[in-house]
Amino acid sequence: MMLASMIAFDGSLFVERMVNGLAEGSIFAMLALSLVVVFRSTGQLNFAQGEIGLFGAFVVSTLTLSGVPAWGSILIAMAVGFVLAASIERVIIRPIEHRNPGTVVVAAIGLFLGINQLHSLIWGPDARSLPSVFPTGADDFFRLFGAAIYWQRFGIFLLLLVLLGLLWLLFNHTKVGLAMRAVANNQESAGLTGMRVGSVLMIGWGLAAAISVLAAALLAPSAGLSAALMFGPFLSASAAATLGGLDSPIGAVVGGLTLGVLKAFIIGYIPFLGGDMVFTVSLVIILVVLLVRPGGLFGSERVERV
Amino acid sequence: MAGLTQQPKIVERGSTLHRIGQLVLFGSFAAFMLWKGIQGDRTGLGLLTDAIILAIAVTGLNLITGYTGQISIGHSAFFGLGAYTTAILVDRGWSHGWTFPVAAIVAFVVGCIVGLPALRLKGIYLALVTLGLAVAFPALLNYDKVSGLTNGSLGIKDLTYLPPEWTPFDGRQDLHKWLFWLSLGCFLLVSLVASNMIRSRVGRAMIAVRDNETAAAVMGVDRAVIKTVVFGISAAMTGLAGGLFAVKLTLVEPVIGLFTLLGAITILVAMVIGGTASTWGPIVGAVLYTYINDFARTQGEQRDIAGLGGVIFGVLLILIARFAPFGAVGLLRKFRARFVRTVPKLPVDTDQQNRVVASDPA
Amino acid sequence: MSALLSVEGLKAGYGPIEVLHGFDFTVNDGEIVVILGANGAGKTTTMRALSGMIPHRGTITMAGAALPSRSDAVLRAGVAQVPQGRGTFTDLTVEDNLLCGAYTRKSEVDEDIERWFDVFPRLRERREQRAGSLSGGEQQMLAIARAMMSRPKLLLCDEPSLGLAPLITQELFRVLEDACRSDGLSLLIVEQNANLALALADRAYVLETGTIVAQGTGAELLADDTIKQAYLGVG
Repeated sequence: MMLASMIAFDGSLFVERMVNGLAEGSIFAMLALSLVVVFRSTGQLNFAQGEIGLFGAFVVSTLTLSGVPAWGSILIAMAVGFVLAASIERVIIRPIEHRNPGTVVVAAIGLFLGINQLHSLIWGPDARSLPSVFPTGADDFFRLFGAAIYWQRFGIFLLLLVLLGLLWLLFNHTKVGLAMRAVANNQESAGLTGMRVGSVLMIGWGLAAAISVLAAALLAPSAGLSAALMFGPFLSASAAATLGGLDSPIGAVVGGLTLGVLKAFIIGYIPFLGGDMVFTVSLVIILVVLLVRPGGLFGSERVERV
Repeated sequence: MAGLTQQPKIVERGSTLHRIGQLVLFGSFAAFMLWKGIQGDRTGLGLLTDAIILAIAVTGLNLITGYTGQISIGHSAFFGLGAYTTAILVDRGWSHGWTFPVAAIVAFVVGCIVGLPALRLKGIYLALVTLGLAVAFPALLNYDKVSGLTNGSLGIKDLTYLPPEWTPFDGRQDLHKWLFWLSLGCFLLVSLVASNMIRSRVGRAMIAVRDNETAAAVMGVDRAVIKTVVFGISAAMTGLAGGLFAVKLTLVEPVIGLFTLLGAITILVAMVIGGTASTWGPIVGAVLYTYINDFARTQGEQRDIAGLGGVIFGVLLILIARFAPFGAVGLLRKFRARFVRTVPKLPVDTDQQNRVVASDPA
Repeated sequence: MSALLSVEGLKAGYGPIEVLHGFDFTVNDGEIVVILGANGAGKTTTMRALSGMIPHRGTITMAGAALPSRSDAVLRAGVAQVPQGRGTFTDLTVEDNLLCGAYTRKSEVDEDIERWFDVFPRLRERREQRAGSLSGGEQQMLAIARAMMSRPKLLLCDEPSLGLAPLITQELFRVLEDACRSDGLSLLIVEQNANLALALADRAYVLETGTIVAQGTGAELLADDTIKQAYLGVG
């Protein structure tokens, strides 16, 4: 079957699938980035990360319905997500006993369930639609190697690149970014150099939330805004972050894009596997990678001495 | 210690007083179950049976996550595997009772295989791999190549396990009581196996692996065998729970919550709110989980507000994590420590008065 | 001379275990004070209590005001620490480590970085390198330079000689003394290595199992027979 598709290789179809994969992969990459931002500073995987994004997407929907332009709504929702997550860090996560890792997991699951259901408490249980920030007309594409590249997909990938540029600037050329890297590396020493570790952690959670909100707001126009929106992408993003290495932002992006493209190619070129098995196949591939490199592709593997 | 006026009474582990305490505790548990089993109405007993089945699954998870320190978010797959094994065999005409050991064995074998990556991965990475298992399992049930066996999305029905002749129960009318006693019996058996394992040499090796893997290896603990076999036994217990669940529900299908990631989370959450790495944790946690969940759900339904149940449940979990970090059992121990303190049995020494008493870390 | 740091009845420990049983000491303006103690005497605990890394009881006064209890506020009050085991940011570059040191400052940061690169030329050669890849001695230099980047009034050094070759220790002590004399910095060093530390010290205290058992000028303690026996391996 692989052979058949190789013989009838269609270049433009390949490019189209590639771009589709990159678009979905960009969403995974953004979510994976927000997981990495929190993991680096706290060593915890935030199970509620996707749901915070979902909450933000509902804020976007409310704002656009009341006439705020799409871009403005997203920016405001990102700010709302930032404040929400920073408060969660301060009020819920920080006072929890960290000696028992299971406890933090339970709190995160509590957050996951609570926030997932909170929106139907506030906005009602019905699904909504969200307008795309990119042109979505049938003609809004350009051609690349004969393939039609639609702006509503390619735009998401471009936004990921912009986001990466901004994050790079933040981490490498601002004092806050320096403090975030320092706190992620050694909290005690960060305190000794006068950094307010608690505030830095709150900023980290807030930043991660803002990124998740962006991801959810970009995904919702094509996937529909409902309680289940972020569930699949969150799983893919955690898989992507694991593949790349949970403490590596570059790894998160490479992992996310790889997973997105892999998914598009499996669906496109190995149709007999069926839609349900795609995620499973991706996981098996990731498992193999992890068995070779237990810290992920770009993660730091710490050597343990006796 | 500052506000404490009265010194707690010191009880030595294994002493007569300690034994009596344990007997009273177990006795009240047995009396409660007996009372429920004889009195229980259909709905109430059904809920308690659900809790006991969950407790069996939690006992399994507690072995690998509580005592060996490997976080698994994939035990729903073993639960589902056990349920489907029982369902498929019953569907092919097996007697119900014989399917349970097979369900446990199948889960054991798969558990050992899944335990293999655990040799190389730990912490959050292993958690994510097992999470993948939880996600993959329901997808696998629907997959064309195995749907001949699992009957795809339609599932397998009519699994009712009527009380056998030799029991004092009267057919369909006493079905709920029979399932209750069956589950309780299985739970006691599984608990006995688990607590004996933990007290044995294997148990000490497990705890050593959890607390300091490298040091355990240096001390000569064969990590590979410990990890894989314990993973297998853990899976077997959860698989048995799945088998019981299938006959209680009388059907299996891929969309059942406990077979999906939700189930893995349920088992994990029940373990933590009961108290990880404790003997009483699984049953306490499973009962708490079942009743809190039922409470949150009925609150939401009664008031007819969408999402209320989920929010209540989420808030309760956060409160538990905040105020009972070592679970309900941890909380009770802390309370008990104000009055009674148990200490390990010390070697007999000549001067009883001057013995140094090590404090109980719990 | 007025007391810059004065500590009274310092008690601290870990959980229920008390390590420091309540003692007093002072560091005056521009003074080098050494607290001498063996393993387990409570040296590091003293430092951690001063920097707010663990809770303490007793009064700590810095330049006439109570010293805050959170470590970032302690630094802002002019007390910097070179922690035991250097505490560098191993994943960050040498230069970023120094920038972290100047986190609370706005002006003349680049000038100060150049100044410390002049003092420790080996750090300049490795400015783009990850701090984790430095040798033990280089990391200790970096830790001192990072602490000095905040321009503290008082520098706390937790066993700067630990794990270092004697020659490097000597060089570090010389740098510390220079900084002290030229900037009007006060220095509090806890040490096990009595020889070098006492030669440097204006005054010294001897700490044993959480209590101060002797004090005097550096020269006095160097001449004391019991000190010699216990910490210099002489006699």
